[in-house]
Order: sequence, then structure tokens, then C-alpha cells
Amino acid sequence: MMTTKSISRDGLASLVADLVGGGTEVIAPSRAPDGEVEYRRVLRFDEIVWSDEMPRSSLKEFFLPPSEPLFSWRQTRSDVTIEPVPTRFGPRVVLGARPCDVAGVAAVDAVMGWDYRDELWFGRREATTLVSSACGGVDGSCFCRMVGLSPESEKGADLVLFPGDGGHLAKAVTEKGESFLSAHAARFGETTDEAKPVADANAGLGGGVAPADPAAIRAWLSEHFEDPMWESIALRCHGCGACAAVCPSCHCFDIVDEPEGLLEGTRRRNWDTCQTARFTVHASGHNPRADQSARFRQRVMHKFSIYPAKFGEVLCTGCGRCARACPAGMDLPEIVSKIAALAAEAVR
Amino acid sequence: MQELRDLASRLLGDGTVGVVVGYEEGPRGVRPAFVTDAADADRLVFDRRCVQNLAVYLSPRRGHLARLGKKAVVVKGCDARAVAGLLREKQIARQDVVVLGVRCGGVLRHESGNGEALTAQTVADRCSGCDCREPRLADHVVGDLPPSPPVSTRRADRMEEIERMSPQERWDRWQRELQRCVRCHACREVCPMCFCERCVADKTVPSWIESSPHGRGNLAWHLTRALHQAGRCCDCGECERACPANIPLGLLNRKLAQVVEERFGYRVTDDPAVPAPIGRYEPNDAQEFIL
Amino acid sequence: MNLYQPHLVRIEAITDETADTRTLKLGFLDPDVASTFDFRAGQFGEYSVFGAGECTFCIASSPTRKGSIECTFKSVGKATNAMRGLNEGDTMGFRGPYGNHFPLDRMEDSDVVFIAGGIGLAPVRCVIWNTLDLRDRFRDVTIIYGARSVSDLVYARELEEWGARPDVRLWRTVDPGGESADWKHEIGFVPAIVEKAAPKADRAYAVVCGPPIMIKYTLPVLERLGFPPERIFTTLENRMKCGCGKCGRCNIGPVYVCKDGPVFTAAELAGLPGEY
Repeated sequence: MMTTKSISRDGLASLVADLVGGGTEVIAPSRAPDGEVEYRRVLRFDEIVWSDEMPRSSLKEFFLPPSEPLFSWRQTRSDVTIEPVPTRFGPRVVLGARPCDVAGVAAVDAVMGWDYRDELWFGRREATTLVSSACGGVDGSCFCRMVGLSPESEKGADLVLFPGDGGHLAKAVTEKGESFLSAHAARFGETTDEAKPVADANAGLGGGVAPADPAAIRAWLSEHFEDPMWESIALRCHGCGACAAVCPSCHCFDIVDEPEGLLEGTRRRNWDTCQTARFTVHASGHNPRADQSARFRQRVMHKFSIYPAKFGEVLCTGCGRCARACPAGMDLPEIVSKIAALAAEAVR
Repeated sequence: MQELRDLASRLLGDGTVGVVVGYEEGPRGVRPAFVTDAADADRLVFDRRCVQNLAVYLSPRRGHLARLGKKAVVVKGCDARAVAGLLREKQIARQDVVVLGVRCGGVLRHESGNGEALTAQTVADRCSGCDCREPRLADHVVGDLPPSPPVSTRRADRMEEIERMSPQERWDRWQRELQRCVRCHACREVCPMCFCERCVADKTVPSWIESSPHGRGNLAWHLTRALHQAGRCCDCGECERACPANIPLGLLNRKLAQVVEERFGYRVTDDPAVPAPIGRYEPNDAQEFIL
Repeated sequence: MNLYQPHLVRIEAITDETADTRTLKLGFLDPDVASTFDFRAGQFGEYSVFGAGECTFCIASSPTRKGSIECTFKSVGKATNAMRGLNEGDTMGFRGPYGNHFPLDRMEDSDVVFIAGGIGLAPVRCVIWNTLDLRDRFRDVTIIYGARSVSDLVYARELEEWGARPDVRLWRTVDPGGESADWKHEIGFVPAIVEKAAPKADRAYAVVCGPPIMIKYTLPVLERLGFPPERIFTTLENRMKCGCGKCGRCNIGPVYVCKDGPVFTAAELAGLPGEY
């Protein structure tokens, strides 16, 4: 049975000071110089934004940096020496994250651990404690409920903060969460309050009140690879990749060698997206996904059919950033609803 | 916008065009629409939320749109500059597109569904001082002429702020802004003038511009793109609107547009017959910077 | 050390197969890796040219031959052209083995028919040697190999070796017009020679690799000869980066070429969506 403790606002402030003072990096939603909220490193409690404003980008960059070195090399005549990069990282706490964002991190774990263990991803994961805040719902673009999550989802979190007992309740979800409560016991108190959802389950925020049927959607997708719908649905899509950039669970990457002069350099891994034309192009020039309809189909398939086939759940967490970020009005919740409707019709 | 709908319906119905590229109501505000059936023309809307530049869909890079047939495109005066750019640089032929101009009194900075009022705070940067509320490059022009858009000094203020900075301060400022760039290239993909089949940033032999989203790579990409857009950028603001990291890309493009105007007396207009400075040489061009 | 850090290998030998195709013999620098490295026929690796990048090739040597590995490549892009610029003694990187493999144990006590075209012989060569090194586990071994012209045939030395063996039936062919004055073997497209060779389908497996068009016309011939699609193997290629299922690039519908492949049966191929 996982523990729930209480913590006052002052307690949280002191907790942040403890963490920062003790050398732990604290990452939380905070206002950037341009006024937008984003997840960033904070040094003081008062830098943290506790509202339901959606940070502009996800937590992904803290586990899979937009660009990270894989190793460096140095060459002398015919010999090469490799400089490895660290796979152990300093302690970090993510505080006050949105549930859809921590769920995204957990979703990518499955890929990064699939048969081969990605030490860079897991090194950062192991060093980080994820504390989310139960959400009240952001805006009409959210659709976490549609994909089987909720504004109070605990998936991916080590600890979830709920309002309660005059301040917050902190509910441990994992062993790491329990250890966190013990390690900082001085800041937490006992409570008999129960952690309750913030968002009104009937208000529709989160994309309706009930999840779309993932199995039916997956079945429809696997049988309708060539459906004419794919031609019309992606006409306005620019293939710009803004959706993948802000998505908590998009994790595709490129690997490039970056020489520094003739004798040394670094091999890096960079964010990439299936939405660009060059993602799948062969050296011969042949491109298996030659137009935007094929590429957009891949994105939907990966989230709702391919990943679920391998790992059992949908890859999308319903945060709605893709819909907010898209300059062309592509609307994934709209598309998922449409497919769910087509799938339901097919069953009938 | 019944006049527009009727026009679209007629053009589709009599086979003049295979598709009308316009705006429709979406779940989150207006968005680009592709109407191929005359009966669907009622989907088309036009109001102050129609900030997107639809001319980008005319680009030859949009292979999957070619099969829809000849296009009619709804343009505001600023969008018409993009159409002119594509014509000027021989990417499309005049007879291959039907231009449906809409009289415009300014648009909101975002296409959001709330449709707030047009004020100095909400109006798009490019609208202030607009001289093309009635599109000139058009086969048809519809709508009533609204009043001039509210004047906003927002962009001018931001540019002035940078102009007052020392070179080092500017460098630091842009390094900080560009740090957020993850090289998604949304700025390139939404730009009607970025129509190169093989962008210089995608070239690997050699790798002229590092693809990695680090300080060096990002600076190389954005400065290259700004230079390639100098004298060509139609100031539609799409790059800045599309950027998921909210980088103020429009400022870079505007600055170079100012330089081009000062140096070559040239401004991008909706007249495709006026050649761009990149594409021509005049004997009295300034040359003191050539060593 | 992380997943993406390659082993260092040294180029021990270079063989130019054709004007644009080259085979490299590579030895692991780390003696522990050299003595323990193992793989199964059909698996691939990511070969690094430091500074240019990585290329994806099958391991073209047999797992029965220890101590070094081989790869055969054509220069088509940045990394392969950089690879061509390397010399004997130079250092490269290798990550692998990745992917699935030919199920040789299932193929024991059966006939095996190897059909390849052009550079497609490279992935097949690995399993040919694997089979020949364990010859008594298999029944009849037939190799049918062709290329556009005599100068496009790869592994010339090996073809001679295979042709000289009494326990192998080798058919060599070139496309009509591709023969040289002293060409002593078949003239005709590979599918036509398969038809001519008419290998028995009963208790037989076929391994087919080559240009897509060759595969397209060979599969129906095998079908007519009675080979069921579950007993026809081929390999697929796709653009790859990580090679181990993480970068999201190489999938064909629900199937990842780097994890569920690169070896597929014709039956599996038929079930794949058309995005390759």
C-alpha cells in the first residue's frame, strides 16, 4: 500500500530549497523570458508556475536531449580512440509536471528497453524522480481521457501531488516515490485526507468522458492501411514536424557524425521526425513514404497501432500539444474520434 | 462570405479548377481547406482569424496536391506577395492558378477559435500600415473593404530594442533565442518561398550546415535561411507562427528586408514582373562592401 | 560504454569485386571481442567510418569462420564513399550483430536453393558458406546467381570454388548482352534460369536476394515449382540509423526491419503494407 502524506505550501518551498541546496537539480513549469511557460531548471520555489497552463514543450528533452553526444573519437593515422560519454547523471527532481507528460516518459521506456538497453535514456531516468500534479484540465485541445488516461493519471509518476489538507497531498506511486517521501520526511506530514481528482470527470475536458476503444482503433488501422481517408486527411499537413517536436512520446532520432577538423569529432543523436520527406529516403533516392499522406499515416499508425501491437498500450498521452502547435490545423483528437467512429461502424 | 462561396462553387462546378484552397472552420479555429466538390463550397469562411498563408500549397514541393488538379487559392493582399514570389521565380505559371483575392482589414496573430476583437495587441505584426487590403494580383476579388487594421508598434519596438544593442549583446540575445530551436524545420516547411527540392541544410556531401540542434548548428541554419530569404520573404509571418519554440524569426527576416530596401531600393511586392535583387544586377548597385 | 558506441575493427583485407563493389575483411581490435564475437547468418551490423557516419550491411562472412567478419558494399552515398577511401590497416567501427537470422536449423535435412542477383549475393554468401561449412546437415545445395554483365558478378573467387565442388550445383548467368567473349555459362535473367534449373520444391527451402525486380519475377517461378511461401526466405533493406529498434525509422507498417527482419519469408512479405 503506497503512502500518502500532506505538505503545506511552505513545506513545498522548503523542500525545493532542500533539494537545490543539496545539489539536486529541480525542473518545474516556470515562465521563460518570453513569458511562455516551459519546463525548466528552477532554483527557487517562487519560480514555479502551479497553474494548469500547459508548458510549451514536454519533458522529453530532459531524458532524450534534442542533441546529445554518443561518443567522441580521435584519429591518428590509422588508429582511432573513442572517448565515451557518461551514462550516470546527477540527481534530478521534476516537480509539478502534467500527468500526460510523465505518462509520455513512461511510454518511451518500453522502446528504449526493447531487447537492447539504451544506457543514456535509462541513466537519466534512474537519476530522476518524477513528481506530477493532478491536473484540472488545460483547454479544449486536451484529450487524455480519449486515450485511456486522465487528468489525475499516475502512469509514469513516482509521486503525484493532489490538492488537500490545506495544501497538497503527495501520493507515492512507486518505490522511488516512497523513498522520496522518507528521504524528505521532515517536510511532509501525516494525513487522513484522500487524494481526489481535480478535474470534473463530467466536464469533458480531456476529450470526452470515456476512452475511445483502443483495440477497435488498432484493428481498423491495421486493416485500412490503403484507405482513401489517408489521402484527404493530410492535404493541409506541411510535414513540418512541429507536432513531433512538442510531443511527449515522439522519440525518433537521427545519428550523425560531426567532425571537428580532420582528426576528431563527435557522433551525436538528434531529434528527428517521420514527418519530414527525408526521414526514410534511401541512398539510392528511393523513398518508401514518398508523400505527406504516407508520412502522416505513419504518425497515426505508430501511436495507435504499431506501438500498441508491440507494447500493449497507445503511445499517445492526449496532451494536445500537437493540435495546439500545428500551423495547419491538423487535429489528432478529431482524427482519432473519426477513426473510432469508423471502427465502431465496421463492427456493426 | 457568400460571395466567396458562390465563386468557389462556380469555379468547381464548371471545371475551371479541380480544387479551391481556402479556409474552413476547424475544431480549434480556422484552418486551410481543400474543397474539391462544388456542393462543399459552403465550408469556406473568411474572417479576421484567417492568418495562414495559403500560397504555400502552390509550391511545387507539394506533390500530393498535384493530383487534385488546377488550384484556385484564396489570398489576402500579403499572401498575394507569396504568389507573386512563386511566379517571379518561375515555380508556377500564371495560367496554372486562379487567384481569389479577399479584401482584408487585418488578421489576428493566431487562428484561435475565440475570435477576439482586432486590436493593437491582437493584430498580426505585418498588418500595421498595410497597403494591400485590396489584393492586386488576383483573378477575382471578393468581400467588402474593411477599415484599415489597428496600428501596432510591437514589432517596431522589438526591432528597435535590438538595434540599440551592441553587437555582443545582439549575439548573446540570438544565441539565447536560438537555444530553444530543435531543428524541426517548421519554419522552412510553412514558407512559400522555401521551395527548394533539396534544401542546403539537408545536403550531406558536404554537410554545409550541421543538422544538430546545438548553438553552432542552429545559428548556421537560421542565418542561412534569413540570407536566402533576403529580398524574397513576403512577410506573411508563418515561420514565426509555426515555430513550436516561439522563436521570433520574423525579426531576422524583417531586418534583412530593411537592409535590402536600404541597399537596393527594393521591397517585396505582389507584382511578379518586378525582378528580385537576387535575380538581377544593376550597374549602379552599391559595391563598397565587395573588397 | 553505451549501446551506440561501436567496437573498433581494423581493415585486414580489401577485395574489389566490381568497379563499384568492394569487400572488406575486418578484425576486432579488442582481443576479448575478437574471441567471443558471434552471430547468426542473416544478421547485419552498423559499420562506422568515423567522421562520415554509419552504414548498414549484412555480415557477409559465415559465423562458422571465426576471427574476422566481412562486409560487401557498393558506394552510393556519403558513408559508403568514405568507406571506399579507406585502406588496409585503417580503423573502422562495428556495432552488432542486429536483427533476426536465417533459420538454418529448420533447413537441416532439406534441399537448399540459393538464388541471388548482383550485389544481392552478399547476404546470401554468408548463409551459403554457413551451409557448406556444415555440408552434411543439408541435402542438395543449388546456387543460382546472375548479374547484368560479367563485370557485375561479385565474389568471383568463391564462384569458382563453389562451381568446382561436386556437392554443389552452381548456375551462373548474365543478362542477355552482358556476356563476354569467353563466357562459358548461362545467358538469361535469373528468373529464367531458375525456371531452367527447376529445383525440386519437395522438402526444399529457397533463399532469394537481389534487386526488387528480380525478386518480383522469381517468386512466381518458385511458386509454380511448388515452393510454399513459408519456405522462401528473402532479406529486406530500409534506411536505418540505430539498427536496434529505437530510432523509429525502418518500420514497414507494424514490422521493424532491424528487429523483425531483415530476414523475412515470402509469406510475411505478402502481409506487409506497400511502404518499402
